[in-house]
Amino acid sequence: MSCALARAADTAVGRVAIQLGLVALLLALWQIAVGTGAASAFLFGSPAGVARIFWLRLADYSLFYDIWITVYEAMLGFVIGTAAGSLIGLALWYSRFVARTVEPLIVAFNSVPKIAFAPIVILWFGTGLYSKVALAISLTAIVALIAAYQAVKDADPDLLSLLLTLGAGKNQIFRKVVIPSALPGIIATFRINVGFGLVGAVVGEFISSQRGLGHMVFTASSFYDLDTVWLGLFVLMAIGFLLYFIIDIIERRLLPWKMDQQRAELHV
Amino acid sequence: MTAAPPKLALRDIAKSFPTRAGPLNVLDGLSFDVAAGDFVSIVGPSGCGKTTIFNIIAGLLAPDRGILAFDGVPIAGLRGRVGYMMQKDLLLPWRTVLGNVVLGLELRGVAAAEAADRARRYLGLYGLAGFENAYPRALSGGMRQRAALIRTLIVDPDILLLDEPFSALDYQTRLYLEGVLIDAVAEFKKTVILVTHDIDEAVALSRRVIVLNRRPATVRAIHDIDIGRQSPVAARGHPEFRSYFKILCNELEIQTGRGGE
Repeated sequence: MSCALARAADTAVGRVAIQLGLVALLLALWQIAVGTGAASAFLFGSPAGVARIFWLRLADYSLFYDIWITVYEAMLGFVIGTAAGSLIGLALWYSRFVARTVEPLIVAFNSVPKIAFAPIVILWFGTGLYSKVALAISLTAIVALIAAYQAVKDADPDLLSLLLTLGAGKNQIFRKVVIPSALPGIIATFRINVGFGLVGAVVGEFISSQRGLGHMVFTASSFYDLDTVWLGLFVLMAIGFLLYFIIDIIERRLLPWKMDQQRAELHV
Repeated sequence: MTAAPPKLALRDIAKSFPTRAGPLNVLDGLSFDVAAGDFVSIVGPSGCGKTTIFNIIAGLLAPDRGILAFDGVPIAGLRGRVGYMMQKDLLLPWRTVLGNVVLGLELRGVAAAEAADRARRYLGLYGLAGFENAYPRALSGGMRQRAALIRTLIVDPDILLLDEPFSALDYQTRLYLEGVLIDAVAEFKKTVILVTHDIDEAVALSRRVIVLNRRPATVRAIHDIDIGRQSPVAARGHPEFRSYFKILCNELEIQTGRGGE
């Protein structure tokens, strides 16, 4: 019975309807809890309050401005950090000696919580755009580097042998086998790094800034303005969600050979 | 005038690999010749170093000792001049069938348009017309291995090194591809060395079968298979087929038997 119901609802539209229904239910429960006094509006805010702030901040465009600032910082950090990390990771394929030498250093650097660098980064790069970008880079570059290097190491040695027997040189092997075979692993880090880019930007804004969503959340929380804090978090969630789907589209574009799976779905 | 030197000659080739328990002698004084246009199969117990032999011929590994000669001239290896086929088709999954087939030409700097033309001709010849733009994962194992064979042949290699190329395929597909291979080898006048576990396949395809000893590999026996060049199916029905098969089986059974040491 419940099985039949689930099967009937298991369409794209059906699933989205259920997902939206769940979100609405949660918001309704929250509103009721605050409205009846079961939860304190002062400590928890309320959906109605969040909506009110949302309209206010839309009306004076300040929300758009903060979104733009944070997304700009995060994207700049994401793109630079991911590109630089991926390229270095790929390049390590060229020299086993260099790779083996720097590997423990990379692992050591990666094991530091990068957020701990934030105070130094602010000292070095100031309180403006650069410090947030630098923080986002420090978070994303290392992830991309490790993933790219791992992907490069995982290239099928038989494919490398095949290229050698066909008379390929090292550069040709790099371009025709190593890069394409590492690409799925590299693109997989895009998803993680989009989030890390946002983390870098928001944490940077927490520590010192005059603008951005992190600044909005941080200052609001110091005034116990929970509605604004929630608004900032929901907007950040929406941005992360949207970026994830953009990465999805990029992945489909870059890896068409991975996407044309036409096998039947297996139901267990 | 002296007789022409063999197409490929291995003389006293030795190769060992370091292991924790000391050096592992894989090849120790291996010698054999392959004449131009010959079809030679190498059979032997598993792990006897057949792939190492191929890697040395292909120039992927340097022997510790011994000489490799091509047309009588000592060489370091035939890198860039062999066609190497393995059990795995080794098609690049991110390239279409056409992209995979032109790989060797591309590496040699053949113009893209010319390479594609040639590839289309070969694909048509071997029944893969219409699959130019398909990715390998959409093809059956037999079709993938056919594409790999085309990729191997299209660069016109001096020698084909086939390392159990059909062993992962079902019997019917294998028979079919064996036929395709025999025809292609005859048409393009290729010299072939085939490594196989399958005695049946060795007898059906080869002119000569080299039987190797257990590691370190040396030549135990060489048999001329005198059943004429014919289709692999017809060869299996030849009156002499059984006796060759039996001889080779016996020879291998002695080596692989438990009391053989």
